[in-house]
Amino acid sequence: MSTALSLRQTQALTVRSTKALLRQPALVAPSIFFPIFFAFLGASSFGKTTNIPGFPQVESFLQFSLASTVVQGVLFGSVTGAAALATDIENGFFDRLLLSPSTRSGILIGRLAGSAIFGAAQSLIFILLLLPFNAPVKSGVIGIVALSVSGGIVALAIGSIMSSVAIRTGSAEAVQGAFPLLFVLLFFSSAFFPRETMSGAYKRIADINPISYLVEGMRTLVLDGFNMQALAKTLFIPTAICIVAVALALTQLRRRISAQ
Amino acid sequence: MTEPLAMAPIVAENLVRHFGDVEAVNGIDLQVNAGEIFGFLGPNGAGKSTVVRMLTTLLRPTSGKAFVAGFDVAKHPNEVRQRIGVALQDAAIDPLMTGVELLRLQAVLYSIPKSKMKSRADELLERVGLTAAADRRVGTYSGGMRRRLDLALSLIHQPTVLFLDEPTTGLDPMSRVSLWEEVRRLNNEGTTVMLTTQYLEEADQLADRIAIIDKGVIVREGKPQELKASVGFPTLVINVSRDQHELAKSILMGFGDLRPTAEGTLGVGLRGGAEAVTDVVRKLDESSIRVQHLELNEPSLDDVFAEATGHRLEGAQQ
Repeated sequence: MSTALSLRQTQALTVRSTKALLRQPALVAPSIFFPIFFAFLGASSFGKTTNIPGFPQVESFLQFSLASTVVQGVLFGSVTGAAALATDIENGFFDRLLLSPSTRSGILIGRLAGSAIFGAAQSLIFILLLLPFNAPVKSGVIGIVALSVSGGIVALAIGSIMSSVAIRTGSAEAVQGAFPLLFVLLFFSSAFFPRETMSGAYKRIADINPISYLVEGMRTLVLDGFNMQALAKTLFIPTAICIVAVALALTQLRRRISAQ
Repeated sequence: MTEPLAMAPIVAENLVRHFGDVEAVNGIDLQVNAGEIFGFLGPNGAGKSTVVRMLTTLLRPTSGKAFVAGFDVAKHPNEVRQRIGVALQDAAIDPLMTGVELLRLQAVLYSIPKSKMKSRADELLERVGLTAAADRRVGTYSGGMRRRLDLALSLIHQPTVLFLDEPTTGLDPMSRVSLWEEVRRLNNEGTTVMLTTQYLEEADQLADRIAIIDKGVIVREGKPQELKASVGFPTLVINVSRDQHELAKSILMGFGDLRPTAEGTLGVGLRGGAEAVTDVVRKLDESSIRVQHLELNEPSLDDVFAEATGHRLEGAQQ
């Protein structure tokens, strides 16, 4: 099959998964609302913690929270995409796709690309919503674009991990059930407080938690302004995680197909 | 590019599929000839869908070989996929998409050029009577509409072989008849059709040839008329009170072989045909057996099934 044809098929599947997300406002709305709610709740409760030694120089707690709000929202959104994949498997639509002569990887990538587009859009929405509340992105427009792209890559990475669960189990409930694990990972990271202010077991977990590095990469662009090192950190870490996660999801898909 | 082998559109040779310890399909041989409607009849769990899933490349056979449209399903699955249309059980359709969106997606997946996509989708929507509902989300469709859309989706690339897995299960009688008409029309246009069903009437009405499958094995195969004729005698079914069952049974055995029937009834294949009914009634009367109900049934596919398997087709509806 030609690459152009394969791309056309993947694009069609991406459009389908994006449309499906947009047509389920009840599923999408919480992934926008709750991260914003937690950001404002955190700002009103922990606003004064910005004076603690070790806390970076920030305009406001909301500015500090911006990166974690993006990651949190993307986590919500990616689970929705993976649950939709599991639903496709449950209701047989996935079989319909497998019955077609399209590439097997295109079927998965199309679904994941939909999650990535949604993740990028979510990130932009969070940035624009928090901007008027003293949460500027110091790296300017390029930084905002980079943060949105990074949000899309994070969505692709998390979506791939959750899609692996979907492909392995074929159950939307299993995907939803795995979601709290992601949330625990988020809480045991530097999403809500800098690692410099942590101590003990909490810090040790945050030090090895990949979510810490995802959030900190984005946070550099928000707090420190634009420079190539910050840009690389923002894009490199999620891309590295993404490559591993997509490879894992494709392996699961190959296993599922060959086991049938 | 691999060339198709010159052979019948569907050929299976000693096809076996096990799921762990469960032997779902146990050595099936079949051949479906070009232009045929081939009915695969059997109860739930007999192995019908497993055979279809192997023939349509969704499942790998544990052993044995299968060729569809001239290609080995295990070695050249993509060649097979390009030539077959499949409507699986339960009409697997994304409820969030509209009918026309799904048809266009399907068209892309089957590499139909953009220039032909719209006309092909419109043509199929008209064919299955869904033009007015084309822009509605599938979630709002009735069961019959979903089945018709499912059929349209399976035809987007003009397949030469069409697999229909229980296409009318759960449909009301009118929708069922309308789907049968569409299947006949497709067949008249040259499409080879293999359909699985648990409905005797569907197999009888539609299929040129039938294979009856039970517990993963084909137990009978042939044209419906030939199969029914092979049973030979009509079945006399009687109802008598439970305490007279054994006595009635011994009397009936004098008129032919007992046949499995619904619980609480007795059935016998009348060797003497319809003319022997009077003698049976007289004998029963002489033994003071009170007959509560009596009916004489011409041989049906259910009789063929019963004779081959020792039990009636579960869930079958005449």
